[in-house]
Amino acid sequence: MHPFDLKAALLAKHAQHVVLIHFPIALFIAGVAFDFVAQWTRRQFLAAAAYCNLLAAAVVTVPVLITGILAWQWQLEGQRLKGILLMHLVLGCASSAMIWVVSLVHLRAKRAPGAVLPGYRLPLEAVGVGLVTLTGHLGGFLSGVNGPG
Amino acid sequence: MRRSVCIAVLTTTLLFGAGTITTGPKNVLASAQQKPETTEVKIDNFSFGPATLTVPVGTSVTWTNRDDIPHTVVSTDGVFKSKVLDTDEKFSFTFSKAGTYPYFCSIHPKMTGKVVVQ
Repeated sequence: MHPFDLKAALLAKHAQHVVLIHFPIALFIAGVAFDFVAQWTRRQFLAAAAYCNLLAAAVVTVPVLITGILAWQWQLEGQRLKGILLMHLVLGCASSAMIWVVSLVHLRAKRAPGAVLPGYRLPLEAVGVGLVTLTGHLGGFLSGVNGPG
Repeated sequence: MRRSVCIAVLTTTLLFGAGTITTGPKNVLASAQQKPETTEVKIDNFSFGPATLTVPVGTSVTWTNRDDIPHTVVSTDGVFKSKVLDTDEKFSFTFSKAGTYPYFCSIHPKMTGKVVVQ
């Protein structure tokens, strides 16, 4: 496949999920990093950067989940999953849920006048990063990026 | 007396031998008809081995996943399709018609192979 063959890339049943998944991973991890540094340094612009990254991460989980489910339905014809594939699906859903929860916490704090970000968000974010990392590792293993050889 | 015993033994031996010769190939043919020849393709390190397999008509090909990662075996022309094969799981298909059967792994479409049935 040519790297700039748009038609082949868009029509490939497997391609979109593998491409799109990098966006929520990068945005969420960057958002959490900004939030931790903002908490430590008390700098507002870092908190704003964290907010934008986390919100964007939550938005892009939607196409990622849709393309992941479509890949399952198209490539594997909705077969009953087991093993690594099932773990990847379950952890992917858990990671997405965690990203949404963290983003909602930030969104509520931003919208309510005078509200302060709750302290419990930090352990939530750390758990979220762990889940995302594990899901990404399994995804990489499945696609062959993290595979042997 | 001794001569007739010798003739009897010789005749029996000949009859037995003839029987074995005539029934021998029949048995081989019968077992060949009952059991199709089996050939194995190994899936390992994101590749099918051998990538191209040439077999006679009626051969049953078995794919075994020796990889740590799940794979599938899907015919490009829709002739056969396996479920997701985890490590050490197998899928078999008997080729009853001559032709070329290209196939791939639907999880990793770059993994391709071919069975040539002659």
